[in-house]
Amino acid sequence: MEFINVIIKYIPLFLPAAWMTIQITVLGITIGVLLGLAGAFLRISDKWWVNAIARIYIFVIRGTPLLLQLFIFFYVLRQALSLDSMTAAFLALGLHNGAYITEIFRGSIQSIDHGQMEAARSLGMSYPRAMIRIILPQAFKRSIPPLGNQFIIALKDSSLASAITINEVLLQAQRLAAANYKMLEMLTIAAIFYLFYTSIFTWLVNRLEAWLNVDSK
Amino acid sequence: MLRIENLHKSFGDLQVLEGIDLQVKKSEVVVIIGASGSGKSTLLRCINFLEYSDQGKIYIEGQLLNEKNEREINQMRARVGMVFQHFNLFPHKTVIENVMEGLTQVRKISKFEAKKIAYKYIEKVGLTDKEKVYPAMLSGGQKQRVAIARALAMEPVVMLFDEPTSALDPELVGEVLLVMKELAREGMTMVVVTHEMGFAREVADRVIFMDDGQILEVGTPEDIFDRPQNERSQAFLSAII
Ligand SMILES: Nc1ncnc2c1ncn2[C@@H]1O[C@H](COP(=O)(O)OP(=O)(O)OP(=O)(O)O)[C@@H](O)[C@H]1O
Ligand SMILES: [Mg+2]
Repeated sequence: MEFINVIIKYIPLFLPAAWMTIQITVLGITIGVLLGLAGAFLRISDKWWVNAIARIYIFVIRGTPLLLQLFIFFYVLRQALSLDSMTAAFLALGLHNGAYITEIFRGSIQSIDHGQMEAARSLGMSYPRAMIRIILPQAFKRSIPPLGNQFIIALKDSSLASAITINEVLLQAQRLAAANYKMLEMLTIAAIFYLFYTSIFTWLVNRLEAWLNVDSK
Repeated sequence: MLRIENLHKSFGDLQVLEGIDLQVKKSEVVVIIGASGSGKSTLLRCINFLEYSDQGKIYIEGQLLNEKNEREINQMRARVGMVFQHFNLFPHKTVIENVMEGLTQVRKISKFEAKKIAYKYIEKVGLTDKEKVYPAMLSGGQKQRVAIARALAMEPVVMLFDEPTSALDPELVGEVLLVMKELAREGMTMVVVTHEMGFAREVADRVIFMDDGQILEVGTPEDIFDRPQNERSQAFLSAII
């Protein structure tokens, strides 16, 4: 009982940190989606050097730890560009997620049957118009499940920002535990927040999918 | 109407078209037959530049097409209807939206007008009760009729059909051929790749036999089916009839 009482008592102290977690996650995802869209277009280009830009981006980001990327933003770019810590955090998260989301979008665009583009072009549509009207709506729908998955990964990865002094949920748990010696309770509260967020994300993604599934295919 | 001169196309080392010459007059129905891999699809796809030929000239309504001019190609495609073996309907759009798409997006017709035109062609292929349905809910034959309506709505000067009934269950072939026969009767210029010899015999003005990227024999359906001259066409025809 004591355990539950401690948790209830301390939850309100987590609210600012929970808000921070949500902010850096949502901003990171937003940047990631924008970079992912841009990256996917580079990736499907048939000009090798355009393609190469995206490949190098993905190679570097996927081949190095997120923590290292956060450090680069925090210790190097933050000073150079005079950013605040939070901005450094969500930019790093955005850049990181952008590489994965590029591959998600590229995969879903390329999974659309080639006949769709041909049918659109044979009506006289230009390539960009065919992309926008015919390919992307279908590709976007297909990218929802992996995108939802990536969003959940991004949420959990935001905890790494604790290493660059961002007072998000996990760092808050550590700080409170250092003062009250109730590590298990504080970590449980942090877990509750993450589970709460991932449940909401999952629910939102399912709703979006159901809503986009009106054509039942 | 449509004139092809000395068309060549290869994929890597594989020569697929080796000097095709073909002229199609207005309201003429030309049926192309030939073994698998003989280059029939490639020929059709070169006509509206879904494939770029290596050499040769294509004229549509007297206009020589320049493959480097993207705008010109798009304008030409809007006037050349294409029907694919696998329908290629847009699955995220309803039947009427599929038919309206080219009208609103390419011909820049208002939604209101486009709807009226689209409805007319949906009626023509006998699917008025399905206009608000998504393609996933249609049978193969119905899908292909929508695809024909989508192409017709652009009011093309020529229609290209690439094995329009090959992906259909046998009992659904008839309804699609019926629509095509009706089109031919109305004077539509058509180039049809098909294995439906009954259709060819009944509707074609000319039948072309292709083999290994070349036109080996051209003639009326009677010439080709009853008195084939070339031994390759004799062999092909005796194998399929
Ligand atoms: N995009 C491509 N890349 C490489 N080879 C191709 C391509 N498209 C077609 N081919 C080859 O070109 C040859 C002719 O193909 P095409 O599709 O024109 O034949 P077809 O007469 O339509 O045959 P089918 O009756 O099977 O449809 C085949 O050997 C095919 O494998
Ligand atoms: Mg073919």
